[in-house]
Formats: sequence, structure tokens, C-alpha cells
Amino acid sequence: MLRLIGQRLIALIPLLFIVSILTFSFTSIMPGDPVDLVLGDDASEEQIQLVRERMGLNVPIVQRYFIWLGKAVQGDFGNSFFYSVKVMDNIKERLPVTISLAAVSAAIALFVGLGAGIAAALRPRSWIDRWATLGATLGQAVPNFWLGLILAAAFAVELRWFPATGFTSLTESPWEWLRSITLPALALGLSSSAAIARQSRSAMVGVLQQDYIRAARAQGLSASRVIFKHALKNALIPVVTVFSFLVTVLLGGALIVEQVFAINGLGSLAINAVWRQDIPVIQGIVLVSVVIVVGIQLLTDIAYGYLNPKARPV
Amino acid sequence: MSDSRKNARRLSMLAVVIPASAVLIALVIIAIGAEWFAPYDPLKQSLREALQSPSAVHWLGTDNLGRDVLSRLIFGGRIALMASAEATIIAIVLGVPLGLFIGYRGGWWDWFVMRLVEAVVSIPGIMMAIVIIAILGTGLHRAMIALGIIYSTAFLRLARSVVLAEREEVYVKAARVVGAKPNRILLRHILPNIAPPLVIQTTLTVGAVLLAEAGLSFIGIGIQPPDASWGTMLNTAATYMSLKPFLAIPPGIAIVVTVLSVNLLGDVMRDSMGRGIVGGTSAVTKLANKITSDSIDRVEPLEEAASSATLKVKNLEVMVSSKSGDVIPVVTDLGFEIAKGETLGLVGESGCGKTITGLAILGLIGSGGGVTRGSIKLNGIELRNLSARQLQKVRGEEVSMVFQDPTTSLNPAYTVGEQIAEVLRVKRGMSSKAAWARAIELIARVGIPHAAERAKSYPHELSGGMAQRIAIARALSCNPTLLIADEPTTALDVTVQQGILDLFCDLQEEFGMAILFITHDLAVAADICDRICVMYAGEMVEMADVDSLFSNPRHPYTAGLLTAMPQSSNRNPPLPTIRGTVPTPQMWPAGCRFAERCEYMQSACRQPVPLQNGTRLVRCLRANELELGVKQ
Repeated sequence: MLRLIGQRLIALIPLLFIVSILTFSFTSIMPGDPVDLVLGDDASEEQIQLVRERMGLNVPIVQRYFIWLGKAVQGDFGNSFFYSVKVMDNIKERLPVTISLAAVSAAIALFVGLGAGIAAALRPRSWIDRWATLGATLGQAVPNFWLGLILAAAFAVELRWFPATGFTSLTESPWEWLRSITLPALALGLSSSAAIARQSRSAMVGVLQQDYIRAARAQGLSASRVIFKHALKNALIPVVTVFSFLVTVLLGGALIVEQVFAINGLGSLAINAVWRQDIPVIQGIVLVSVVIVVGIQLLTDIAYGYLNPKARPV
Repeated sequence: MSDSRKNARRLSMLAVVIPASAVLIALVIIAIGAEWFAPYDPLKQSLREALQSPSAVHWLGTDNLGRDVLSRLIFGGRIALMASAEATIIAIVLGVPLGLFIGYRGGWWDWFVMRLVEAVVSIPGIMMAIVIIAILGTGLHRAMIALGIIYSTAFLRLARSVVLAEREEVYVKAARVVGAKPNRILLRHILPNIAPPLVIQTTLTVGAVLLAEAGLSFIGIGIQPPDASWGTMLNTAATYMSLKPFLAIPPGIAIVVTVLSVNLLGDVMRDSMGRGIVGGTSAVTKLANKITSDSIDRVEPLEEAASSATLKVKNLEVMVSSKSGDVIPVVTDLGFEIAKGETLGLVGESGCGKTITGLAILGLIGSGGGVTRGSIKLNGIELRNLSARQLQKVRGEEVSMVFQDPTTSLNPAYTVGEQIAEVLRVKRGMSSKAAWARAIELIARVGIPHAAERAKSYPHELSGGMAQRIAIARALSCNPTLLIADEPTTALDVTVQQGILDLFCDLQEEFGMAILFITHDLAVAADICDRICVMYAGEMVEMADVDSLFSNPRHPYTAGLLTAMPQSSNRNPPLPTIRGTVPTPQMWPAGCRFAERCEYMQSACRQPVPLQNGTRLVRCLRANELELGVKQ
């Protein structure tokens, strides 16, 4: 297992390197001079020179990249163009919000998706199967932010069970955190559960037809043990792959769903940065989220290796 | 597949295709003629009429600036179509040629572009769009270029994988062997192979782009106000949620219905291009009904005179549902006994009902079939009268089964030791430690060296012969009185077959269980069995002890099988065969099922032939008169 983790970690190096080059090159692809962006049109020559110096724009681009990379790996993405705050401090403040939304959504997506998928697979063509298939088909067509709006209208505005906007951190008040995260996480999680449900249904149907399932039954093992021990571990293999893709979808979806519930996460930070073309902020957000995505994909790779002995390096 | 089923499937497919296509066609028409269909100018404000509910004047009400919601919805549809077409075309034009190219060139190009794709894919799609929009600026076309770039990675990977798959095809390799340049052949074959997945990927992309465009417009970096798009309308709706929640309904429904239609069409295409659907409820229900009605005249639970037989099967009939939905018999009027320590061979060609007989004894035929008549007694207990729970207790402890292919009958996800130990824990209530120790003993007992280490292996790490020894060890872990072995040597190398057969004999001496040995190979049966029951087309045609059966077959089919054995004929002339083929269950004649292939057939053979019980159990009217010796 350690070997597997080692191999994956080594494979990540070129990936992260390319992402860093892509991210860095934003500044150079961007039309216009970032200095103009910061200073506006009527700046004096001295001011411009000063800012160029401060932003390190007078150094050749390759050298600039490595200076930037050296700082970035230490978590320093420089200052925002417009606010004298460190980008990393900004991100640190917003990240836990987005992460907790994405994590709770992922849990909901897994729980609902696996439950519906397995229930449908156990009785193909039954009413459970029909409803699960219908739900999954519909779920893939419903935009998560619209589901969020509908949930907010029903349970926050009308019934007042949950707050319509805002976010309370877990450390501040676990109960209020749960109330503030329920609706956004449901909106994001339910619409993502469709893919999991479809995949787990087809995987489970396939596994249940395998010889080793019949052989386990022939040994007199109970149906539930055969389903939840022998079949499930094999059926989870393709689901893990889907889940690792879903992580990026959830993280991206969180940016949008945050807007529905006026949650100050990475989403509003990114959107404001887009309007101002505040490149350091965008670079920081992209790199941080890629590191998160890659980290979770590493975890799913490990889960994959645990579930599928054939995938482990010998 | 029967016509009615085919029609039913076509109908249910049409029930999806027609409304979905209708929605999309209507959308296109309305989008093209938006000026003509929309009752108002979508941008005309009238603050006096702001936030009205649906009325005869404004069918869907008005928004915060008094603009007509229906008109904005119609113009939003135009934007949605344009946007998804634009982004999808960009994605295809960027992705497909690049994917074909790197698939073709391979090497460094392939490595570099694929790392780039991985990098792009590891950035959340929406965030990637945000970045590209940050660089290009906001607005519809820029947002669509961003989405086109993102979704081009899917087309790139698809095109590349098609090229890579084609490279390995036999005809390309063949071209290489004869010295032709494979590139031209490749090009000619890529187009037909890439078309179906390309169509499916396109529908997936259109759906995804529609959702993404709405999302980007919703957060304000796609379409810019005052232009109407479904996403910006939802943005407005979000602001006025507490005042006028209805504003969220029309654009939301429009998005869901459009995306749903696109996805459903994609699903149908994928299904019709991919594999069909198997299985069916109707047949199973029919069968279930039949089984319940039959169960009313259940076999009498009365004990017959105590017999020493471990297994006693009488008048067994098994039905399964065919693909066409009919319920057909696959085993009829089958009866045999196996004594303690005895091995009975069940011999016949594939499809004659051997395996399903084994599964019937275990009660494991599954939802597609079942035992409809007859009696199965194991150690005097009628298995057909047992509840599912009781039967589960019997399985593993009293009777257990070894399957044909050991590489598929062992669970790939668990170590072999765990798979044996689990049975011991569950069935025998042993502690984890004791079960593991016993599992190692059993593995050693079936002749595997270094048992303690081997126990930690996964099935794919073992050879076929070793895996089959493990499967045997598991089957015997609870000392069953009956072992069913279904072609246990067929999937193995000839060189290891004998070792497995010897193991069976060896273990039978030690454990004393009865064995039902299912095989199509008379030579194997002769080697291991005490008696042989020959089956043909779902019924027993002859049963005798091995020596008598081989020296004096009484049924023409048995004689034919013996003649066809390689050992009994010279190399020259060629191996004799039985003319004709085995009839499928639907084609079984009313009379002797072998009649069509039998050279001794008489008109009396057209009538049902009962099992003759003279000196020999045999199902042939002429059993006593024919001279059948095995032809040399």
C-alpha cells in the first residue's frame, strides 16, 4: 500500500508542475498591463516604475516564474492587486466554508446515491428501481443552484426551519453550523448523487451476476452478508472512480451554490477577483483548489487499491 | 426475442424519444422566431407593472423591472441554444483533431498533451471557466469559449482512445505484418468507430453546457444584464425570493425540461448503440405463479422406508424463463440416488440440464427459474419443504458446491484464507483466530505448499489449479455430507486435471461425503465415478455403474458418446461424431428427444418414452433388442 501511495505521489509532480505553469501564465496571457490595472490610467512614470519594481515585473519571465513558484510552494501567493492583504490569508478565511459545504455535500451524494443505486440493483425493474432511475435522470437535469433556490423558498422563506442566508462556522456553534449548511449541502449533494446512483446500480447489477456471488451463496452465507460484504466491495470499485471525478464537480458547484445562500466562501472571493482581474487572488484560489482536488484523488486512489487488490503494485 | 417484447421495448423507447424530440424541436422553432412568438419586448421596462403575478396580460407575470417573464423566457431560450451550440462546436473542433493527432503520433506529444489535459481536468470546471473569463473578460461568447475549452478535454480523450483501440485491432496489425502502412487503414476505420461515442459525448456536452451557462450567468459572469438568459433570470429571482418566489419557477422548469430532453435522447442513443437490456419481470412473475400453484400439491412429507442414500432426487422438474418471456422446462422427470461415500457422475453435453440440476439441489436457481415438481431429499429431509432460512443453513454445512472456473468463483476482493475462514466463522461460530488456523490447515490438506503464506494471497495471484484446490477446501470446510462438483476440471490445464481428480478421491476417503460429479467428459467420469447417469436434453437416458455402462451401453446416445471418446477410437479414420445437434428446450419433441439423431428410430419412438427399469435404468424402447457395442 505504501508503494502505491509513493507511486501516485511521484506521478503528481509533473501534474502540479504543469498546473503551476498554467496558473502563472495567466498574468502574461492577460490583455493589458497589470500595472495599469492597479494604478489606473493617469499614473506618473515614477509610480509605474515603483509598482513594476514591487510586483517584480522587471525580472525576466522565467526567473519570475521560479521566484513565484518558490513562494507559492510555501503558501505565499503575494498580495491582492487591490487590497493590502496576503492572498493566502484571504483564502484561509474562506476555504473552511467552501470545504465544509463540499464535504457535507459529498457525504449526502454518497449516502443517497449508494442507497438508491444498491436498492435499485437488488430488485431490477421493481418500483424502487423505476423511481431511482427516474430520480437519477431528473437529478442530472436539475441545476444545483435552482434546487437551492427552491429549497430556500420552501424551507427557509416559507417554513422558516433553516436560515435563508449566511453561514455559521462549526467551531462557533455546531448546531447553527448544521442549520446553515443543511440546505446548501442538500442542493449540491442531491444533484450530485444522480451520477453515483447510476454508477452504483449498474456496477451492483453486474457484480451480482458473477460466479463468486453464487459460490458464496452455495456456501450458505446469508443474502445480506453476500450483498454487503462480497458484492459491495467489488461494486464500489467503479463508484470510487466516479467519486474522484465528482470531487471537482462538487468543489466547483460549491462556488455557485454559495451565491444562492449568500455564503462568503471561495466563490464570492473568486467572482469579485474576476471582476477586478485580481490575478494573484485567482492564482491562489486555483492552486489551492487543485491541491485539494489532487489530495482527494490520492485518497480515492488509495481507496481503489484497498477495494481492488489487482490494482496494487506487486 | 419475441415480437411482443420487441414491440414493447420499441414503444417505451418511442415514449421517450417523441416527447424529448418534440421539446427540442419546439425550442429551436421558438428560439428562431423569438421576435414573432414573444408577446412583448423582453427588455421593455415598466416599473408600474413590476413583480406581477401571472395574468391574462402577462402569462407568466413580470419581473422586478416590469419586464414580461414569458418574453424573457423565449429570448432566454435563444441564448441557451446559441450558447450550447457555440461551446459544443468549440469543444469538438478543438478536442477531436488534437485527440486524433496525439493518438496517432504517440510518444512525447501524447505524454505532454495528456499531462496538460490532466492538469485542466484537475481544476474544477466552474473555476476553470472563472479563470478563463478573468483573462478574456465577461460576456456570452467569452464564457462559451471558456466552456468549449473545458469540454474539449472530453472529446480529446475520446478521439485519442478510439485511435489507440484501433491501433491494436487485428487488421491493423495484419497490415503491419504484410508491410503496408497502417495509417491509411487506420484513418478509414476511425471514422465509423468514432461516430457513435462522438454523438453520445455531444449530447452529454450539450446538457452540461446548458447547465454550466446557466450557472455562470447566475453568478453574473456569463450573459450580462439586461439581456435575458435563463441563468440571469434566476439571478433576479434569487434577489426577489422573499417577495416573489414564483420568478424562480419558469426559468428553472425551462432549464430542467431542456436538459432532461437532451439527456434522455442521449441515453436512448447510448442504449441503442450499446448493448440491449436483458431480463424481464413478466416471465418471472408467470413462473412464480406457476411454482406457487404447483406447490399446493407439494411432495408428501411422509418418510419412506429409511434408505442409506445421502441424496435422493425423484421426478425432478425445473423450469426457467427464456429470453422471449416463455416459461420452459429444462429438466424433466429426473431421479437418482447417491449413497454415502459414493460418487455419481452426471454426464451429458452442455445445455442438457446438468448444472441447473446441481443448482436446483442447492435451491440457487435464482429469480429466473425454479423447481416446479419432484422431490429432493438430503439425509431424509425434503429440501423443497424448507424455508429460505433453513435452506441457507443446509447449504455449506450439509451440501456444498465446487464450480467450473475457480478464477471467477472466488471473490477477487478478499484473500483466499479469509474466504475459507469466513465460512467457518459464520457456519461454525468459530473465533477469528481459530477459523484462520483451520483455514490454513484446510489449505495444507488440499495439497498447497506454504499454506500459511498462501492463505494471504488473493485469487488472481494463484494458478487455476491452486485456486480450484482453494475452492474445494472452502466447500469442504464444514464437512458436508454431499459435495456437488460442477465440471471442476474443465477450466484447468490438462496437466493439473489429474491432480484435482486424485484430490477428490483422496478427500472422499477421508471425509466420506457423497459426490455428485457433473461433467461432459466420459473419460473423467470413468476415472472418478462409481456410477454414471447420462443426461440428454433435460432427462436421464441411462444410468449404470461405470463398468457396465462402458462395456454394455443400452441407450444409442450413450453408445454414441462412448464411440466419440478419443481413447476408444483409432487416430485414423477421424473421430466419429453423433450426427445432428442437441435440440433446444423449446424444440423438444413429445417423444424420444434423441429420436431425430438416432439411427435406430422407429415410429413408436414418436410417443413419450418412459424410463425402462429392467436390468438397467434406460429410456429407450429398443433397449433390450439393440446390439450397441462401442464401435472401434
